[in-house]
Amino acid sequence: MPDSGYPWPIETTRLDNGLRVVVSEDRTAPAVAVNLWYDVGSRHEPTGQTGFAHLFEHLMFEGSVNVAKTEHMKLIQGSGGSLNATTNPDRTNYFETVPAEHLELALWLEADRMGGLVPALTQETLDNQRDVVKNERRQRYENVPYGDAWLRLLPLLYPPGHPYHHATIGSMADLNAADLATFQAFHQTYYAPDNAVLTVVGDATAAEVFTLAQRYFGAIPARGDIPAAPDGHTVAGTGRPAVETVTADVPAARVYVAHRTHPFGSTGYDVATVAATVLGSGRGSRLYQRLADGERLAQPDLVGAYGVDLAHAPAPVIATATARPGVSAERLAAGVAEVVDELATVPVTATELDRAKALLSTAWWRQMSTVDGRADALGRYATQFGDPARTADRLPGWLSVTAGQIAELAADVLTPADRVTLTYLPEETR
Amino acid sequence: MTLITTRPGPGTARPYRFPSVVRRDVAGGRVVAAHLPGQNLAVALLLLDAGAGREPVGKEGLGAVLAKALEEGTAQRDATAFALAVEGLGTELATGLDWDSFQVSVQVPVDRLGAAVELLAEAVRTPRLDPDDVRRVRDDEATALRMDWANPGPRADAVLRADLFGADNRWGRPLYGDPGSVAGLDVEDVTVFHSEWFLRPGTLIVAGDLDRLDLDALGAAAFAGTGGGPAEQGGPIEVPLPAGRRIILVDRPGSVQSTLRLGHPAPHRAHPDHVPMTLAGTVLGGAFTSRLNHLIREVRGYTYGIRGDFASSRRFGRFAVSSGVQTAVTAPALVEAVGEISRTRAGGVTEDELAVARSWRAGQLSVELQSPRAIASALTTLVVHDLPDDYHARLREALLAADVAQVSAAAATHLHPEALTLVIEGDAAAIRDELVASGLGEVTDHVG
Repeated sequence: MPDSGYPWPIETTRLDNGLRVVVSEDRTAPAVAVNLWYDVGSRHEPTGQTGFAHLFEHLMFEGSVNVAKTEHMKLIQGSGGSLNATTNPDRTNYFETVPAEHLELALWLEADRMGGLVPALTQETLDNQRDVVKNERRQRYENVPYGDAWLRLLPLLYPPGHPYHHATIGSMADLNAADLATFQAFHQTYYAPDNAVLTVVGDATAAEVFTLAQRYFGAIPARGDIPAAPDGHTVAGTGRPAVETVTADVPAARVYVAHRTHPFGSTGYDVATVAATVLGSGRGSRLYQRLADGERLAQPDLVGAYGVDLAHAPAPVIATATARPGVSAERLAAGVAEVVDELATVPVTATELDRAKALLSTAWWRQMSTVDGRADALGRYATQFGDPARTADRLPGWLSVTAGQIAELAADVLTPADRVTLTYLPEETR
Repeated sequence: MTLITTRPGPGTARPYRFPSVVRRDVAGGRVVAAHLPGQNLAVALLLLDAGAGREPVGKEGLGAVLAKALEEGTAQRDATAFALAVEGLGTELATGLDWDSFQVSVQVPVDRLGAAVELLAEAVRTPRLDPDDVRRVRDDEATALRMDWANPGPRADAVLRADLFGADNRWGRPLYGDPGSVAGLDVEDVTVFHSEWFLRPGTLIVAGDLDRLDLDALGAAAFAGTGGGPAEQGGPIEVPLPAGRRIILVDRPGSVQSTLRLGHPAPHRAHPDHVPMTLAGTVLGGAFTSRLNHLIREVRGYTYGIRGDFASSRRFGRFAVSSGVQTAVTAPALVEAVGEISRTRAGGVTEDELAVARSWRAGQLSVELQSPRAIASALTTLVVHDLPDDYHARLREALLAADVAQVSAAAATHLHPEALTLVIEGDAAAIRDELVASGLGEVTDHVG
C-alpha cells in the first residue's frame, strides 16, 4: 500500500505580490501543464448576480491588453496545446497543456489576462458571451431530460443565503441583467495574484518556472483585501426531510437522494467518499446489487452514488436510480432510501471495503497519470488547504477509512430526518 | 503596471517520442505493447475483429448486448462473484464498440494487471450466457437506448446516417442499434455472435511499465482456449453522393434548441488524402478556433458550440457538422453554416489558419498521448489500420509538412455543400416555415 499519493517532487515559492507558484518536474513526456486556480466561484456571488463567476470565465478568453479577441485560443492551439477552464461553487480554474517549448507563451497569456483584462473588456464581448452562456444553459440544463436535477438539488440542500444555495450556471434573469461595470469590478476584486495559485507540472525545472513567473506575473499589483464569500460551514439541519417531485418530459421515473456530509478535505469527507463508493460505484456496489440486480427495480446503467467535492461547506453525497419499466417512483425511492439507511445498520464487510478502496486507488492514479491531472490537484490543495504537498494525503486518507467510521458517518449525517429526495415523474403518469 | 507586451517565441523544441512498441506472437495471438517506464497504472485491452460492421442487418445492437452479457457470470463464477473479483482489483470491464472492432479493457495499478487480464479473458472466452440473463440484459439495453433516445441527438444522428448510407446497409443504421432492433434480438443471436467472433484470439494491447509486466504470461491468459484465424475484412465501400441538398425535419415539440446534423459521405480511412482532409476539417470545424465555431458561436452567439469533421473507418467515411442552436435562429444558423462550408470548398484555407491547424494536430500527439488509456488507444489504431510502429512520428511529420495548396485541394475535392443532408431535430411547428423559406433545400418531415 503506497504511503503517498504524490511520489513526485513539489517546489513552491511566493512572489512579492502574493502569487503562489507550485512546480512539479517530470521529464517523462515533452509536455508541460500550466494551471491557475483563482479562489473565486459562484459562492462569492451576491443575490441578483448568479452565474457571474462563470460568465466571467468566458470573458477571460476574449482578449486582454496585449492579446487580441480570440487570439488566446488560437495561440495555444497553434502551439499544439489543449486548454479549457471551469467554474464551480468553490473556484475558477484555467489550464492548458502545451509542448514544453511553449511554456513561456502559456505564462505570458495567463499573466496578460490576470493583469490586463479590464481595458480590453467591451460591451460587445459581454453581450456575445452572455448569449453563449445562455445557450450553454439551454443545451446542458434545459433541453435534456433530468438536466436540471443539480439546479433543483442545491436549494433543497442549502438554505437561502448559503453560498451553495444557487447553481453556478445562474439564472437567465440575472444573466440578462449583467452589466459591464460589474464585470470590470469583478476582475479587479478577485483576479489578483494574491488570490491565485499558478501550478506548472511536467518538462520544466522549478528554477526556470520561478524565473518566468517573476518575469511575467511579478509586476501585477497585489490587491490585498479580497472579500471573503459568506461562511457556509455550518448548515443547520431542519430536522425534517426535504421532498420535491417534478413532472417533466422524461423517459422514466428517477430519484435522487442527497445528504450534506462534511467539507472536502476533512477526514469525515474521506469517509463519505469511501461510503459513496461502497454504496454506488460499480456492479459490486450495494445499490447495484440490491436495486439493479436483486429486486430489479432500477436500470443497471443508471444507478450510482457519488460525492461532490466541495470544500467550503458540508459537501453533498448523492445517490440516484432510474426506474425499470413498470416500477413506480415510490417503490424506487423507498428502495434507494432503504439501501442508504442500511449503511448505518448493516456493517460494511472487508470485501466491500477492499473493493471500494481498490476502485478509488485506480481513480486516483488515473488522475495522476497525466501532467494536467497532477497540476489541477496541486492547485486545489494549495488554494484550499494552503499546501500543495497535502495532495499526497488524499489516497492514504481513503485507504485508512474503517467500516466503523462508515457506520458512524451514516448514523450521523445520512439520516432520513436530514434527507433531500428529488423525484422525476414522466408526464404520462400525471 | 508593466505587463510584458511582447509575445515570447518558442524555446528549443524537444524531440517527439512515441513510446517504444513491442509486437510479439504469443499462444496463437498477437501482443502489441508500449513501454511506459515509471507509470503506476497499466491498461490491457483485448481487440477483437467484432465491430458493428460484423452485425447482420436487422441485428443492430448485438455487440452492445453481448458486451453487457459478458458480465453476467462465467463458467467459473456468478455475476456478483465476478463483479467483486474485478472491482476488488480496482477496475471494471470497459467495453467499446466501433465499426471496425470490439474492445474490452481493464485499467489497474501495474502489479495487478496479470490478475485483471485473467478475469477479462474469463469473461470474454467463457461467459455463462444463461438465456434468462441474456434476455434480461437485452431488455435493459433496449430500455437504456430508449432513455438515450429521449435526449436530443440520437434520432437526428440515425436519420442522417440512414440518408447518407442507406438503411438497407448495416452501416446505414446506428452503431449501437436502436431501441427496436435491440428489443428484437433473441438469445441465439447473441450466443452465435459470441461463438463466431469472440473465440478468435484477436490482439492484446498493453500500455504500461514493461519492466514490471510479463507479456508472455498476459498473452497466454488472453488467448487461452481460442482458435480460428483472421476473417476476410472486405474493402472500401463506394458510397454515392446525393444528387442535391435536402432538409429532413425531425419533430421535437417544445424544444428550446434545434439540434443540427449536417453531412455527406467522405473517403475511408486509408485514402491517400487522409492528412490534408483532416487538416481541412480542422480549419473548418475541428477546433475551438475553427471557422464554424468562430462564426456561429463567437460572432453570432447562436450556440454553445459547433463542430465539424471528417471521420472514417476501414470501409467508409463521412463529413459531418453538429450543433445545438436556439430555436429562433435555426434557419439563419443553417444558412451561415452551409455558407461557411461552401466558402471553404471554393476558397480553400489560408496559411495563418493552416499554421494553427497543423501545429495543433501535431502538438496533440505529445499533449494528449500521456495516460496508459490514451496510449492503448493509439496502439489500437496501429493494429486496426495496419500501421507501422513509427506511425505517430510519421503522422507528425506529414501534418507539419502539409501546405496550403494540398489542404485547399482536399477541401475542394472532399467537401460537397451542394450534396449535404441537413437534419434538424427541433420544434417543427416553430421552424418549418423558416426552413422552407431559407431556400437551402427541399424540406421533408421525418416519419417515425
